[in-house]
Order: sequence, then structure tokens, then C-alpha cells
Amino acid sequence: MAQSSTPPQTQEQRVQEFVSDFNALRSEIRKVIVGHDEVINHVLTGLFAGGHVLLEGVPGLGKTLLIKTLAESLDLTFSRIQFTPDLMPGDIMGTNMIVEDESERKHFQFHRGPIFAHILLADEVNRATPKTQSALLEGMQEGAVTVSGHANPLPQPFFVLATQNPIEMEGTYPLPEAQLDRFLFKLRVQYPALEDLTEIINRTTQVREVNVQRVMTGPRALSFRELVREVPIAAHVRDLAAHIVLATHPQWERSPEQTRRFVRYGASPRGAQALVLGAKVRALSEGRYNVSVEDLRAMALPSLRHRIILNFEGEAEAVDVDRLITQIIEAAENMSATEKEVFLR
Amino acid sequence: MPDLTILQRAVADVSRQIRVRRAEFYGLRGLFGGSLCALLPLVLRDSLGWQSFVWAGLCLGAGALAGAGIGFSMKLPAGEAARLADRGYGLQDRISTALEWADRPDRTPLVDALVTDAVAHARSLEGRRVIPRRVPREARFVPVPLALGVALALAPAIPLPQGSLPSLSGARQEDEDKQPERTGNLESQEQPRAAKREDMRRAEIQERTVGPRAGMGGATQPGDLSAIFKDTSIAGQTPDFNAFLKKGDERIRMLEQIDRLPDLQRDFTQSQQRMVFQKAKALRGGLKGEQFSPDKLRELLKEMERLGRKGDPGYSGDLSEGMEALEQGQSDRAMEAMERALNKLRAMEEKGRDGKGLRGGREDERRGGRKGERGQGGSPGDEGDWPEGEGSLPGKGRSGSPKGDPSQRLRTNPFDVGVEGEARSGRKDGMDTNLVGRGGNVPSRLQYMGVLGQYRKQMEEDVAREQVPRDYHGQVKDYFKALDEK
Repeated sequence: MAQSSTPPQTQEQRVQEFVSDFNALRSEIRKVIVGHDEVINHVLTGLFAGGHVLLEGVPGLGKTLLIKTLAESLDLTFSRIQFTPDLMPGDIMGTNMIVEDESERKHFQFHRGPIFAHILLADEVNRATPKTQSALLEGMQEGAVTVSGHANPLPQPFFVLATQNPIEMEGTYPLPEAQLDRFLFKLRVQYPALEDLTEIINRTTQVREVNVQRVMTGPRALSFRELVREVPIAAHVRDLAAHIVLATHPQWERSPEQTRRFVRYGASPRGAQALVLGAKVRALSEGRYNVSVEDLRAMALPSLRHRIILNFEGEAEAVDVDRLITQIIEAAENMSATEKEVFLR
Repeated sequence: MPDLTILQRAVADVSRQIRVRRAEFYGLRGLFGGSLCALLPLVLRDSLGWQSFVWAGLCLGAGALAGAGIGFSMKLPAGEAARLADRGYGLQDRISTALEWADRPDRTPLVDALVTDAVAHARSLEGRRVIPRRVPREARFVPVPLALGVALALAPAIPLPQGSLPSLSGARQEDEDKQPERTGNLESQEQPRAAKREDMRRAEIQERTVGPRAGMGGATQPGDLSAIFKDTSIAGQTPDFNAFLKKGDERIRMLEQIDRLPDLQRDFTQSQQRMVFQKAKALRGGLKGEQFSPDKLRELLKEMERLGRKGDPGYSGDLSEGMEALEQGQSDRAMEAMERALNKLRAMEEKGRDGKGLRGGREDERRGGRKGERGQGGSPGDEGDWPEGEGSLPGKGRSGSPKGDPSQRLRTNPFDVGVEGEARSGRKDGMDTNLVGRGGNVPSRLQYMGVLGQYRKQMEEDVAREQVPRDYHGQVKDYFKALDEK
């Protein structure tokens, strides 16, 4: 375990520990998961940024396995909920049951549901009814669930990793926009490349034991979350983040043409928070003490792709949101003070 | 807190590079402007002489220097220079963030580490140019005015128009001086202006006629633009009505021929016979035949003869008979002759309208007077223009409907108002809108492309609603198709 017993003396040491732990986690996951480097980085980024991550991909790509491996590499409690149409909110949050104490007196006792875990895998989250999905909302946003008027705090760190299948739409309930917004990142799990697929075949069809080490504890993860928030960001980088988020809104007077044409609703302020927090984690994971423009560019897609709602024309034209975000970033960089403007000013 | 001097030095170095690049950028712009300005003294080399080269050089130099100075002295915030330094050196915004956060009161513990890291990176920087050179768009066109300037410098000086407009005042003054010698004082005082005009006209005629014949047309010197303005002397003339009268203008002779003058009060939509009839009616003044005085009758016959003079009215014999009867004092016979002449007039009008009139309609009411009296032999002169008989139209004109009986075609299909029958074979000139001759080369004032869609839509509606004859549908569509092909 990479955790040290004595607190770091300097900030540089803190950052170095973060980098080493981050790399250690990544290495542990890579023992099991082949490829998907970007997805792994973003999952870990979401963990240290203090948000929740939604993974979208066709079946069999290793989404669930990735999350299970992450849970194994963290010294944290883990629970998995397989979402089905008949799943009820009580099945997630828990319920009050009548129990009898030693004096034979009956009283209600709250039996915690599977949501009371540090890492929660909500598998195929779009298969549950909206009522059950919304039960997850409070836990994700507030870090507590309320049952019978009593709020029960969730253990910290609380990290929800949900998966959903984009192609199997029958019998599913697409997540409402409000719930999508609660996820810090939305990651798209792509089909593996040829080399990765070959490696997957080798790993999974032979006798091979993989021991995933626990490399991080909960309190350490929480301390890293605090460290992330200390990373300074320059004004022009922060302004660029704001420009990017505002440029996703068709109502904004400076938004690009693509936004005006294809977007119905743009990203919420949560999108800006996710963008900057993700950029901070990325900077720290690279051993930097500040956020750069490149960090924003790298984190824009997972932070914003589920927060942009296309209009009818965008849906009809099958506009790729990722490509749209790339164009928006370019437009936002042109809007903010660019090299050309500085040069000619 | 580490020393920020290294960071500031790196930013200052980048600032200097930016200023130099800006000076180059705006210097090239200024050079372009200066090269344009330098063309002017080169054009005026004829008058400026060797100084034109000096002025041209000064324009070039001043433009470039002014641009460079402006570019170098433009404002450059330190934060933006730090950003460009980060970008230029690939420092991922370390310097700009460190400089921005170093003095902030809310700085986090990580800022110290950031500054240390940024200083370490800045120490390893090499003094290389990180700001790329930017060439303004105008710089690509600088060779054009420069080449033009060189051509102007090598070519002979352009002659400038010297001289002035043709001054007739000198000749006029000279003539005025000589005038008292040729004429007396009294005459010169009475008609000074006429004399000037005469002289001007004489000079003008001489320029127009004698000059070209004597081969003087090409005798004008280069730069003498006065030849262009020769005809301006006409504008200075005032109307001379006396000369106009003396010359006996054709228009004066026309005034003497009253018959040839157009009657501006006449209704030109009416025929000659109708006009004669109206005139006769006006002369009669509602009097009966026996109430006519011989003078009135003679006047009436003369007028009828005059009005019918142009063609062959066919009633000239009646008129001459009437005139003879008047000479012999037989007013009744003269009156009968006049009535015959009027009847012939009416018959001619009837003949002219034969087959053209429409049955029924408002025309009937207007022509035939009151409905009940039409064709009942109403007394002549008491009604409209055609008081007698069945009216001027073929048939009896007694349709119960004021607009006549509807045709069969209208009953069948309200939308089918097209013309029946087959189209005339051969070229249809009425549809040919292509101009021939000189006007054909002149571009149309109508912007076809702007209105073509509108006209095509109207055409399609008209064709669909059968407002265009069926036999012309193809021709109309071919016409618009031909416009598209153009």
C-alpha cells in the first residue's frame, strides 16, 4: 500500500504522493483492464474530483469489470446494484423494519440499502424506473438519503459509478437531464483496438491469477480531494472555461453558429465546475501545480457531453456532441484573448 | 517565497520580442501606405522635378517608420506577455499563473510550490525567439506600388494639363474695342449683346467648319484641353427671338396653317366622322332646320367641308350642293343637302364599326340613349350622338341583359376562360421579347434574376388557372425554360 503514516512535509511531497498513488491505482486497474487508458484516467479523475461517473458503452467492453477492479484497489466498501424495471427505491436506500429488542419491545430499525457504500456500482442504471433512479439522486448530490423523514448520511468518500447501454433501448428509461447533470463525467467506453483485443483474449482464456492490491484508503482519497481544490488556476484559463460553458448555450450572443443551430440547452454551471475540477486533477496527476489550457481541453468532453441537449435539428442531423464540443472549444478560444489579439492589440 | 525576478525577466524578454514583431508588422503596413503616397510626387514629377524622388523616398521612409513606431509603442499588459511566454516556451501556463497568484492574499499553499516550479522551468529556458513573425496582408501588395513607382521614375514625366479653358472674354473684349470703330456709338449702345453673340457665332462656325476643312483639327497642342470645351459657347447664348422671326422658322409657317394644327381639346379616341358630326351639332346649337340663318348654315357646311378634307368623305357632293343652294337663297335645299351629308357620315361610322361591336352591354345604353326610345325614331338632335335608328351596332340591340347573353363557354367551366381554337402557326411576334438592333446590346435594366422566381411563380399560377390560353402553355413554359438556360 502506498499510503505513508506520516503527513507530507511540503506541498511538493503532497503532490508527489498524489501522483504516485494515482499511478498506482492506474497500474492496479491495468492489471485487469486492457486498454481504455483514457477511461481509466477519467474514472480516477472523477474519484479525486469528488464527483460521480457515468460510463456508457455496449455490453462486454469491461465497464463493470473496471469498476469492480477500482473498488478492489481501494480500501473502501463496495456494493453493486443491478438496476431492473422492478427495482424499488427501498431496494437501494434501505427500509425500516420492525425489530424486537432484548426487552421484547418492538421498534422500527433502519436497514441500510446497498447505497450505503463508498463505491456504488449502478449497473445498467437506465433499466430502472425514474422513481428508482431519482432515489439515487439525493444520495449522489447530498451525500445522504432520507428515509421516513430521517436523513442518513452516506459514508465518505461516496463514489457512484453507473453504467448504461446506449443501443438497448427497449425496456429502458433514459436518465432525465437533471439526473445526468449530477454525474461529473460521462465516459464513452469504446471498442478495444486489435492489440487490446488480442491481449484480452490472452488474459481471459488462460489460467491466470490476478491479484489487485489495495493502494489507497478512504481518508487518503478525501485528503487528495482537498489537495485538488488548492490547485491555482490563472484568470485567463478560468475565463476560457467560462467561455467554453457559455458557448454551449444557444441563447448567448457570442455562441458559435453550431451551437445556435443544433443545441437546445447548454451546460449548467455544474459543467463549469466539472471542467475546472477535472482540469485540476489532471494537472496534479501530471505533477503540475497549476491548471493549463490543455487541461481544460482534455476534460471538456467528459465534463460537457452529457450536459448539452441537442434540438430537433441536431437530433435529425445526428450531430456528434463530442465533435460539437471540439468546435465550441475552438470558438471559445478565439473569443477569449488569443495570441493574435494580444499581438495586434 | 522564491524570487520572481527570473519569471519577470523571462516575461520582459518575451515582451521585447512582441514589440519587435509588432514593429515589423506595423512597419510593413506603414510601408505599404507610404508606397502609395510615394506615387503622388512621382506623378507630379513634371512640376516637382528632381524633388519628386526626394518626396517619394520620404513618403516610403516615413510610412515604414511611423508604422514601426506605432507597433513598438503599443500597450502590452504583463499578464498577456506572460501568457505568450508560457505558450512560446511550452510551460503550460506556469509563469502566468505563478505571477498572478504570487501576490494574491487568498493564495493556497500550493502556490509556493507552483512559483518554485515555474522558476525552475524559467531557469532552464534558452534565450530563443518564441514569438513568430507575422506578416500583414498588405505586405503582399507592397511590390505593386513599388513597381509602379519605379516605372513612374524611369518613364518620362507625365505632362500635366497646363493652359485653361477657352477664354472667349479676350476676343470679346477685343471685339468690343473694335466695335465703336465699325459702328456708331448709338448702335453699339443699343445692341451690344447682339454684337457679342454674332461674333461668338461667327467664331463658332469657323471652328466647326473652316477648321476641319483646312486640316486644323489636329493642330491642337498636347495638353490643350480647350478643344474639348468648344461647344460650351452655345450654352452662353441667350434666346434671340427677333432672329427667329426673321429667319422664318418652319414652326411659324405651321402656325399659319390652322387646319394642320392639332386640336388639343379633341377626343382622339373618336373617329373623324364622329368629330365632324359633333362639330355640326355644336354649330346647329339645337336649332331646327327652318330656324337656321343662311350664315349659320354656310358656316356649318364650310366647317363640314374643312373637317372632311383629309380623306374622301363621300359627302362632298352634298356639301357643294348645299353651298350652291345657299348661294341661290334656297335654304331648305341647303338644309336637306346638309342632312344627307350627316346621314352619310353616320353610315360611314356604322360601316367602320361593323363586326367590331359587342352585343348588348353598356355601350348600347350610351350610344342608343334611353332604353325605351332606342330605335323608336326619336327626333334628331335631342339625344346623344346617335339619336336615330337602332344604334351603331349590328343586330337589333334589344337584349334584356345589360351585358348581353352569356356565352356557352362561361356556363360550362368557370375556370376555363381560355381562348378556344388553335394557335396561329409560325412566328408570333407578340411573344418575342428579344430586342434586335442597337438596343439589343444594351443590358436590360430589369434584374431578371431578381424577379424571375416571382414571375415564374405567377406564370405557373396563371397556367394552372387557365388564364393563359392552352395553346400558349408550351410557349410560355419554353420561354421561362430558356431564361433558366441563360
